[in-house]
Amino acid sequence: MHTRLILYIAYSLKASRHYQRSKDFFYDLLENPHSQLKSYFDVFMIILVASSVSVLLYEVEHQTSKWAVLFENFVVTVFICEYLLRGWIYSNIHSAIINHYENAEYLGTPFRLHKVLGQIIATKLSYIFSPSAIIDLLAILPSYRPLRILRIFLIFRLFKLFRYSQSIQMFTGVLKNKRFELTMLAIFMGFLIFIASTAIYMFENEKMGGQITNLYDAFYWAVVTISTVGYGDLTPVTTGGRLVTTALIISGLGLLAFFTSIIVAAFSEKMHEFQDDRVKANIEKLTDATILCGFGRVGQDIARQLHQNKQSFVIVDINENNVALAKQKGYIALFDDASKNSALEQAGINHGAKAILCTTGDDVTNVYITLTSRYLNPEISIISRANQEENVKKMYQAGANYIVQSYTIAGLLAAEYIGHPVAFEAINGILHGQQDVQMEALNLAQNCFLTGMSIAAANLGQYKVRLIGVVSKNPVHGKHRNRYKLHNQHFYFNPIPGFILHDGDILVLLGRHLSIEHLHDLIATSCLQKNIKKSL
Amino acid sequence: MTHPLIAIFGYNSMSFELITQLNEKQSELIIVDADAEKIAQAQKKQLPAQQMDYRQDDNLIALGIGSQVETLFCFLENDSENVFLTLSARALDKNLKIISVVNQPESAEKLLAAGATKIIDPFEICSNKAYQLLTKPSITWVIDEAVFGRADLHMAEITIPEHSSLDKSYTSELHLNKQYNLFLIGVVDKELGDKLYFSLGEQDHKLDAGDILVVLGANRDIRKFKQEIGVTQ
Repeated sequence: MHTRLILYIAYSLKASRHYQRSKDFFYDLLENPHSQLKSYFDVFMIILVASSVSVLLYEVEHQTSKWAVLFENFVVTVFICEYLLRGWIYSNIHSAIINHYENAEYLGTPFRLHKVLGQIIATKLSYIFSPSAIIDLLAILPSYRPLRILRIFLIFRLFKLFRYSQSIQMFTGVLKNKRFELTMLAIFMGFLIFIASTAIYMFENEKMGGQITNLYDAFYWAVVTISTVGYGDLTPVTTGGRLVTTALIISGLGLLAFFTSIIVAAFSEKMHEFQDDRVKANIEKLTDATILCGFGRVGQDIARQLHQNKQSFVIVDINENNVALAKQKGYIALFDDASKNSALEQAGINHGAKAILCTTGDDVTNVYITLTSRYLNPEISIISRANQEENVKKMYQAGANYIVQSYTIAGLLAAEYIGHPVAFEAINGILHGQQDVQMEALNLAQNCFLTGMSIAAANLGQYKVRLIGVVSKNPVHGKHRNRYKLHNQHFYFNPIPGFILHDGDILVLLGRHLSIEHLHDLIATSCLQKNIKKSL
Repeated sequence: MTHPLIAIFGYNSMSFELITQLNEKQSELIIVDADAEKIAQAQKKQLPAQQMDYRQDDNLIALGIGSQVETLFCFLENDSENVFLTLSARALDKNLKIISVVNQPESAEKLLAAGATKIIDPFEICSNKAYQLLTKPSITWVIDEAVFGRADLHMAEITIPEHSSLDKSYTSELHLNKQYNLFLIGVVDKELGDKLYFSLGEQDHKLDAGDILVVLGANRDIRKFKQEIGVTQ
C-alpha cells in the first residue's frame, strides 16, 4: 500500500510541469554556472554575508540593537532556505524511485522500497557531508541559542563566500589539483614537527634548564620555527636545543620553498586553461560575430576595421605569434587550426556567428576552411580570399558566398588609375572611408515611413543624401529600365521619380556620414512606431 | 615623339591583371623583368616583354625612361627593389608617373619619399574589400561595376572642353539624371584647385572649360553626353 502511494507520488511529480519548472528555477538560481540569475544571487549572498559579519563584529563592543536581531534572523532564514534548497536540487528522489521500480519491473524482481530509500539517503548524506554543505551548516548552527558557544564558527560565514566568487573557486580548484603533492608535503611537515618538538622537549625541558614546560609548548615552538617566523618567546639555551633549532630552520626553509613552488607551478599550469575558459566564455556571449580565420596582414587590417566599428569578431589562427599579437591588441583569439571542425565550433560557427572570413595567404587552406564551414553551417555567409585566379571556381564550389581576389583587384585598380585618376581617387576615398562622404546601403525594413512612397515624394534631397539606385528582389519593379542583375536581385540605377519603394528594397545612397546616419535612424524609429501601434 | 609608353616592372598575377586591362584600352606597354623564365612566360602569351637588369641606369634610359615612357608601374617582389627602381626613375625624369605596389605598410612612406606618384597596397585593398563585403555587400557590387566596369555601368571623368555648352553653367542646372540618365558623383572645380567636390547638393559650382565632371552611368549614355557637350574623342 505504502509502495503504491509512493510510486503514485513519484510519477505525478515527474509529470508535474509546475514542479519541474520550480526545480529548474532553483537550479538556475543556485547551481547553473551559465545562468544570469545565479550571478545576481551570488552578489546578493556576498553582500548578505559581508553585512552579517560586519554586524557581528560591531556587536563585539556595542549593545545589540533590535534591528540587528531582526537582520540576523533574516540572514539565518535565507541561509537555512538556501541550505535546504540545495539539498533538494542535489538529487531527484522521484526519479530514483521510478528508475528503481522500472528496473525491477523489467527484470521481474520484486520492488523493495527500503533499498531505494537507502540509496536516496546515501545521496542526500553525500550532500550533507560535502565540504561546502558543512560550511553552510556551520554558518547557520551558531545562531541556535543553546549552541552559542559555537559563536566562533560564525566566521564560517566568510567561508561561504567560496561558493559565490569564481576567483576563489579557481584557487581551490588549483589546490585540489595538487592534492597529492600537498598531502605529501603535509605528511613530511607533520613528521618534521613531531621529531623537532620531541627533540626540543627532551633537550629544553625545565630539568635541563630550558623554557619548554610541556609538549604543547614544544609543538608551538616547532611550528613557529619551521615557518621561519621565530617570535623568540621560547628560545633554546642548551647546545642540543640549538642544534635542533638550526636543523629545523634549514629544513623549514626548504619546506617553504617546496610549498611555494608547488603552488606557483599549479597556477602556471592552470593559467592557460583559465585563459582559454575565459576566451570561450567571451565567445559564448557574442552575437552576430564574424569569425576571422588567419591573422596575417589582411586579417589584421580587417580586425582593425571591425574593432573600430565596434563589431564583434573571433580570430582563429594556427600561428602562435599571430595569436599573441591579437591578444595583445585585446581581440578575442583562439590558437587553433581553423580547418578543424572543433576549432570552428568553438569559435561559435553554430551559435552567434553570422559570417566567416578566410583570409589566410594560402588558397588551399582557404578552400578547406570554406568547405568545412559550409558543411558545419549551410546558412552562414562565407567570404574567402583567393590569390590565384584559377582557384576562384573551386572556392565557389566549396561554398563561398563572396570571393576577394587580392591581386586581381590591385591590378584592376592600378589600371583604373591610368584612365581616370580623379574618379579613382574618389572611389578610393569612399571605399576606404577616408572622407566624410560615404556610399551606403540602407535597408527599408518592414512598415518604415518610406514604404509605398514614390522617389519624388520621398524627396531624399531634404535629408542631404543622393540616391544612386535601388537594389531589390521585388518583381514589382521589373518594368523599370536601367536594370542590372545582381546575384538573385536587381540593381535599378538612377530610378525615375515615379519609382515606388517597397518593403525590403535597399537604397544605395551617396552622402555625408551624418546625413546617412540620420536617415537610418529615421527609418528605424518609424518602423518601431508602426509596429508598436500595430501591437496596440 | 613616338607614342607614350607604359613600362611595367615585374611579371606576376597582379601585373597580368593590369596588362589585361590596359590591353583592352589599347595602350602601348612593355613588361620588364630580371627573371628570364618570367619573360618567356609573358612572351608565350604574346605580350611585349624584355629581360633587363633595372639596377643599371643605362638600361632604364635605353628603355625610354626620361623620354618615351610616360607611366611606370613597379610591381617587383620586394619593397626594397621597388624603392630602388622608383628612386632611379625619378632621378631620370621629374614628370614620370610612378605607381608602385607596397607589401609592408611601413614602406609606403619610403616609396612616397623616393618619388612614387601613387602607391597601391594589395593587402589593404583586399582587406577593405573583404570588410566591405561583410558589412555592405550591395554597395560592393555597385562599386565593382562602376570602377571595374564589368557590367554596362561605368564611371567616367569628363573634362569640359573649350566653347562647350556647359561653359559658364552651374552644377545645379545640370540635371544629369533626368536629361542623360547619368549620376553626377562630383566635380573638380579648377578655380578651387584640384580637389574633388562630391555633389551632395550643398554647394553650387560654376563650371568652366577644364573642369572635370565625374559621372556614373551606362556606356552609351556617357557617350551621348560627351557628344552633346562637345567632347571630341
